Order: sequence, then C-alpha cells, then structure tokens
Amino acid sequence: MKTNIYVKRRVAVVGAGLTLFRRRMLETPKELAWEAAKMALDWAGLELDDVDAVVIGSAPDAFDGVHMKGEYLADGSGGWGRPTMRVYVGGGTGVFTPIAGWWHVASGLFDVVLVVAEEKMSPAQPHPQFVFKHIWDPILERPLNPNLIWIFAMEMHRYMYKYNVRKEDIALVSVKNKRNALDHPAAQLAAKITVEDVLNSEVLVYPVQRLDISPVTDGAAALVMVSEKVARRITDSPVWVEGVGWALDSTQWTNRELAYPKYVEVAARMAYRMAGINNPRKEIDVAEVYDPFDYKELHHMEGLMLARKGEAPILTREGVTERDGDLPVNPSGGLLGVGNPIAAAGLMKVAEIFWQLRGEAGGRQVKKPAYTGLAQAWGDLMQAGTVIVMRAG
Amino acid sequence: MSWDKVGLPTKLRHWYGDMEVEGYLYTAGIAGEKFFKTLKERGKLLASRCMKCDVSYLPARAYCPSCFSEITEYFEVEPEGNVETYTILRVGVDGEKLEEPVIVAFITFDGVNGGLIHRLGEMDEKDVEIGMRVKAVLKPTDERRGEITDILYFKPA
Repeated sequence: MKTNIYVKRRVAVVGAGLTLFRRRMLETPKELAWEAAKMALDWAGLELDDVDAVVIGSAPDAFDGVHMKGEYLADGSGGWGRPTMRVYVGGGTGVFTPIAGWWHVASGLFDVVLVVAEEKMSPAQPHPQFVFKHIWDPILERPLNPNLIWIFAMEMHRYMYKYNVRKEDIALVSVKNKRNALDHPAAQLAAKITVEDVLNSEVLVYPVQRLDISPVTDGAAALVMVSEKVARRITDSPVWVEGVGWALDSTQWTNRELAYPKYVEVAARMAYRMAGINNPRKEIDVAEVYDPFDYKELHHMEGLMLARKGEAPILTREGVTERDGDLPVNPSGGLLGVGNPIAAAGLMKVAEIFWQLRGEAGGRQVKKPAYTGLAQAWGDLMQAGTVIVMRAG
Repeated sequence: MSWDKVGLPTKLRHWYGDMEVEGYLYTAGIAGEKFFKTLKERGKLLASRCMKCDVSYLPARAYCPSCFSEITEYFEVEPEGNVETYTILRVGVDGEKLEEPVIVAFITFDGVNGGLIHRLGEMDEKDVEIGMRVKAVLKPTDERRGEITDILYFKPA
C-alpha cells in the first residue's frame, strides 16, 4: 500500500467533549450532540462562529430510528449553514470521524473543524440486537437466525484455541477496564469486580459471558480539530494528529483466519508509516483499543502490533496494560466500563488520548509520561479497522 | 436474469426478509418535554429564546443552533397563527382516493420563529388561503396526553 505521507498541513486537536454515557437518556440525539460539541468548543476556548466545517459520525440510522441521521444531527452539531458531512463505517465510525476531520484540515480546505459523534442505542425495540442482525448475508446466514454474539463467540473461541489463551486472562481485561472506569465521570458500568465474577457470570453464547460484553448505551462525544496556524494562536499544548489509517476486509467473514484482525494491521501500518513509527510497542505510550468485548482488546492489541500474536494476554496478566504499567491500554475504562454508544464510544477513545497527552485526564492519568498515543476502533462484520496516532505538542 | 424481463419479482427464486425491529421508543428531550407538558396542561405552545442572538424558536429548543448557547428562557405562545403555506391531500399514502380531502398547513405564530405542521378543519377547501388566520382546536383537558395530536386541527380564527 502506498500513501502520500507528505500531507499538506499539520492538524491539531485542541478540545474534546463528552456527555454522560447511560442506558437511556431523555435528551434527543440532537441535544446529546450539542452537549458534547459545546463542551469541546469550551475546552478549546472557541465559539461556534469560529467553526468552518462540521464532520458528523453516527453508525446505522436504525439505532436512533431516524433516517439520514447526519442531516438530522446537523443543527445540534454546529452544522447549520456550514459545510457538513456524515461518515459511517459501523463500529469503526468513532475513530473514522476524526480521520475525516483531519483530512478536512490537512487538505487546506478548512482551519477549524468540529467533529461530533452521537449514538442513541436505546430507542430500538425490543433490543438493538435486532438492528445488528441485518449485517449478515440475507440468504446465506440469516436463515440460521444469527445473533451478533455468535460471531464474537466464534472469533473469541478461535483466538483462544489458536494461541492457547485462558478465559481467566481474558476476564482480566473486563476487570481492569471496569475498574479504570471508576475514575471516569461519564461512565455507565464502572465497577470493582474480580476474575471470578466474570467467570461466574451467565454464559450467553459460549465462550461469551455476561461480564465479557459492553452495554447498550446512549451518548455523544466531540473534538475540535484545527490547522497549525490556529493551534499556535489558541493553545500552548496542541495534540497533533500524526498518523491516520483505515482499512476494510470483506463482509464474507468466513474468508479469513479469525484469530488475527489483518484489517486492523493494514490500518495501523498506514497510520504508523505516516507518524514515522517503526516499533509501536516501544513508541506508543498509551493506547485506547476498541473493547466491545474483553477479548477484543487483546485481539486488537495484536493487530495493532502492540503485542506479538498471542502475547497480549500475557502482557495483561503481567500488568503491563494497567494504568501504571509500561503500556497502559484503555485507561478511560473503555467500552466495557464507560459504555458503548457505537460511534460516540470510538470518539470517546480519541478524546481520552487527547486528555492523556495533555495531562488533563485527572484520576485516569497514566503513570508514565505520555507523549505518543493511539486510538483504534473496529466495526461492521468484523471487517473495518480505523486507527489514529497523536502526539503531545 | 433481469427484473424487467421476468416481470413479477416473485417469479424469481427469492428469500423473504424483514427488518425485525418491532418499533422505537423516542424521547422528546429536554425542551420537548417542556413543550408537550405546556400543551397538555395549559393548552398553549411553548417557545424559547436565545438571549444572545435574540432569536426565538417554536417548538422550544434547549440550545441555540446558531450560537450554541444553552437556552433557559421559555415563554408561552397562543396557539393562533397564520397559514404560511398549505396543501390539499386527495390521495392517501396507499394511493387510495380520499372521500374527504384533507388540508394540511404550515402555520407560523406571532412574534416567534418556526412553526408547526398541522391539519386544518371546520372549513371548506375553497376557503383556505395563504396568510389566513387560524387557531388550534384542542382536545378537552382530561383527554390530552402531551402529544402533537392533543391539537385536533386548526380552524379559521
């Protein structure tokens, strides 16, 4: 793959915002978007008048139950009377939205871009599970009445088999992330639990148990992304977007070795090349890795080359990925602890890296000095990888 | 094997499918809750005003989409306004001929931006015109549920 790394302009993140993440919010999707967007602008010390363009990220319309959700969300996202677009790659959307924000600025078209991601998972009845169901092939797979957890269960099982991973080590991810979330003011499922709690929780679809999974969540997140010229004027601590990468695999998910997310590696290699990173395990100080299920954090760490194949569970067991470890992973609490409003969950991760690199993460601040951070999301039929690498200025 | 040549879609070998979501539970939101509570309890429309832009919104909004300020200034508006534009429905959504035409109008209200879409009633289609004055006919207080259909229709004022 060839990418032109000689991009036109540098892009900085200068503000981030987040709503509460909760199972069912009274706020309309627009009101949630506004709350997060307003907080991000306030953080940056900018006004809506300063914004040149808006990028909105939201996963399927069928979650909120509003068609053309980008257009719908526009007036709560600052998109009223501005160049505005919506991007969408399923669960990968949350990190793809700032990637789109990045090219808006890097291209030279705009100086200040407001990036907003929103998802309300609570409206769809009886459960958003039935929305996910329609990602399958309608003829080949849907007649078997599949459930989203099926494919995760099979991927998880394959991963455990291939690398001889114990369920106890996977459960440690859930324990760590829910504990990290105790320090997150927006968190939905922060908790002090043990490996035994996870192993004793209800088996849903073997080997997936209740405490292996992130919840159904409503919420929104936002970032302000600006050109170097603006960044130098308004802040002493910009966070630079140094690399972006994205990749898709086929929706025919039986075409691949499920134990390893190759599409995440492709996206990561693109981002690392742009950021000049040769040894991610050494050069990334803190990572927000997509964790809708506990094993996915391990799986994605390996796809991101933050661990060798099969090594992520060992690093986790040794405490390397704890907040005070050598490679803190999901210091926010991740999707398992903070919650999973699909697109907003991914952008929450980018916001966390912004706060970590600025030293503004409060009780969640990682112990080691953090200069380079990474956020990753993943989605669709286990096929979309999106990666962003950022550095403290 | 093209669709046109086969004619009836069901003559092709096919699989039925549907999007199985049974329905959605929507919330009216921060401002929407206030709007519908006012309609139900007081029979009035609720608007809100951005003090920074000095612009008002009906139905009420919790934030100003123009400057992003939070809006805390709410005020009631009489449900009487002007027909901004209208249309007359002669065919229903399934293509059936309607026995009685239905008049639907976009109604604006005095001193506020925005407006409502609603039906017009107690009038002949020959008498409807843009700019005419109309007022809401509400359900009796005890039958109102805090919904847009608490207004039955607008009639000539």
